[in-house]
Amino acid sequence: MGRRVVLLIGSAALVVLVSLFALRPPAPRAQGVDVFLNVTAGGGKKLNIAIPDFTVVAGNDSSANARLLASVAGADLTFSGLFNVVAATGAIPVNNPDALKQSWTEFAAAGAHAGVHGLLTVRGDRLETEIRVYDLTSPEFRLIATRRFELPASVPRRLAHKIADEIVLQFTGEPGVADTKLAYVRGPRGAKEIYVADYDGANPVAVTRNGTINLSPVWSPDGRSLAVTSYVKGYPDLYRFFPFERRPEQILAAFAGINSSPAWSPDGKSIAVTLSKDGNPELYVLNVATGVFRRLTRHVGIDTDPSWAPDGRQITFVSDRNGTAHIYVMDSEGASVRQITTGAMQTQPRWSPKGDVIAYTTRQGTHDIWVVNADGSNPRRLTTGSGNSQGPSWAPNGRHLFFQTDRLGGWQIFAMFADGSEQAPITRGPGDFTSPSWSSRLP
Amino acid sequence: MGTRFSHVVLGSLLIAAVAATACAKRPATTQASAPAPTGAAGTTGGTGAAPARPSDFTSPGSSGTTSSAQPSTAAPTTSGGTATPVRPSPREFSEVAELRDINFDFDKYDIRPGDARVLDSNATWLKGNPNHLLLIEGHCDERGTNEYNLALGERRAKSAMNYLVSQGVQANRITIISYGEERPLCTEHTEECWAKNRRAHFLVKPR
Repeated sequence: MGRRVVLLIGSAALVVLVSLFALRPPAPRAQGVDVFLNVTAGGGKKLNIAIPDFTVVAGNDSSANARLLASVAGADLTFSGLFNVVAATGAIPVNNPDALKQSWTEFAAAGAHAGVHGLLTVRGDRLETEIRVYDLTSPEFRLIATRRFELPASVPRRLAHKIADEIVLQFTGEPGVADTKLAYVRGPRGAKEIYVADYDGANPVAVTRNGTINLSPVWSPDGRSLAVTSYVKGYPDLYRFFPFERRPEQILAAFAGINSSPAWSPDGKSIAVTLSKDGNPELYVLNVATGVFRRLTRHVGIDTDPSWAPDGRQITFVSDRNGTAHIYVMDSEGASVRQITTGAMQTQPRWSPKGDVIAYTTRQGTHDIWVVNADGSNPRRLTTGSGNSQGPSWAPNGRHLFFQTDRLGGWQIFAMFADGSEQAPITRGPGDFTSPSWSSRLP
Repeated sequence: MGTRFSHVVLGSLLIAAVAATACAKRPATTQASAPAPTGAAGTTGGTGAAPARPSDFTSPGSSGTTSSAQPSTAAPTTSGGTATPVRPSPREFSEVAELRDINFDFDKYDIRPGDARVLDSNATWLKGNPNHLLLIEGHCDERGTNEYNLALGERRAKSAMNYLVSQGVQANRITIISYGEERPLCTEHTEECWAKNRRAHFLVKPR
């Protein structure tokens, strides 16, 4: 008979002993063990998890990846907001059940609810890993999941991100967002280039090196390409770059006027874009396969900054048709236009991947990030304090946002939770970092 | 083993609702709109003017404008401009002392009366030098956000263009370009500086 273990985790943010209740539900639905990571709204309830250094099973770990995998995956789990990572040093010996049990006993005593035993085999230029997830709240430290991952030794951080995302999946039913990418603009005004980095800011790589102005990178839903407005030919034209391939960029739109503010449809087949070729900035939808543009808006004012609802049926955008820039919603054919915000100047609406809310930037003296329900109700502010915060970009699970802020001086990319909590820098270093775009989970 | 472990999708994950704070209501300002767009946006001439129909919010539907991309999306290119409209490179244009900048109020693109006199003077010079092509740059201050400012700079350049055309300068001599907030004249974070940056700038080149 299956048994369900329910972990009700206390709300402390630090590693503390918390109340655990093992319950026997009257009618178990599934065989085996169901673990509930009870994370509730208003929560802060986290699961304490131990990830000691990986155990090297075979091969020569000359790059100390056994430690890197544990530390990077641990940082990912901490960032997720779902876990507290219990501090650990050293690795669990290989093939030693008694040592394993002793380790878990000590971690359980330190408050850990779960333990991850990582095994690493270095085989040529490949890193092969196996992770074993244990329930430390069960007296016998039951093994509850085993997974294997393998990647080239050149990308150990990505391997750690995939492991972390799997652990999040095991405990929540939805994978984490560590194996994703951040695109952004770097450089001062007049000399801005596009970069791509891991979601945590590591491994930055230049995508453009044309010495002109490159703006508004936006990931395609498959995570393979970026739509970018570039002045490489002198005028603001729309391009598609392929940062992971030896493939030249494509010109998507080079009409007279601006070709700006791209937004991929959720199915990746279309790009909403602002063109002024017909007189003033209007929204169009480009069919990427056919190159045909379909006009959506028809108004003397500015219409720009489109973002698609996750079902692809609606588009939010900015218009100044009532005198000040505000957030509007229309269907993806351009009909049923309605204004959903009022008040100060508002731009950069970005529809949440969950569909329920729209993040945007409000200018009231300084700029701050807000969210509003998609029906226009309950606008609420996420950033406060000194400096400007703008350019929101959602994580694929809707739990986090990237944004740019100059609160520390120059512009940097920060991340925060969707409720505005835990705002922390992602990028560091000289030069302005702006216009973040968070990719989908990589394939 | 390990697949016995079943997932439980959690409801709302830690998304705590922050206190609902309503936007401060402010009467919407009604701004004087720029002259209605006329003519093509550039010297390329291939694009017609959109009729100004403020009340037409609805889908163009089957009657909407459908146009092919100028360049084929299948044409991978860094050399790429082959199918792009013939636009003179902005680098070919240079300043002349007789053509003066005009400036704009924050988040506005209508021509102020004093600036109209500047444009009258610019128009007189342009009509007296018909062998010159004109590039109008539209610029914004650093406030506001990039994509909106690109559109705002475009509107400013277009407002200046429309005014010059209304004064008898041929539209097919004029190309416009928006730099949004990307090329400020002045980089301090002051109103004095911002006011200088909210501008239309005029450059010429011989035909």
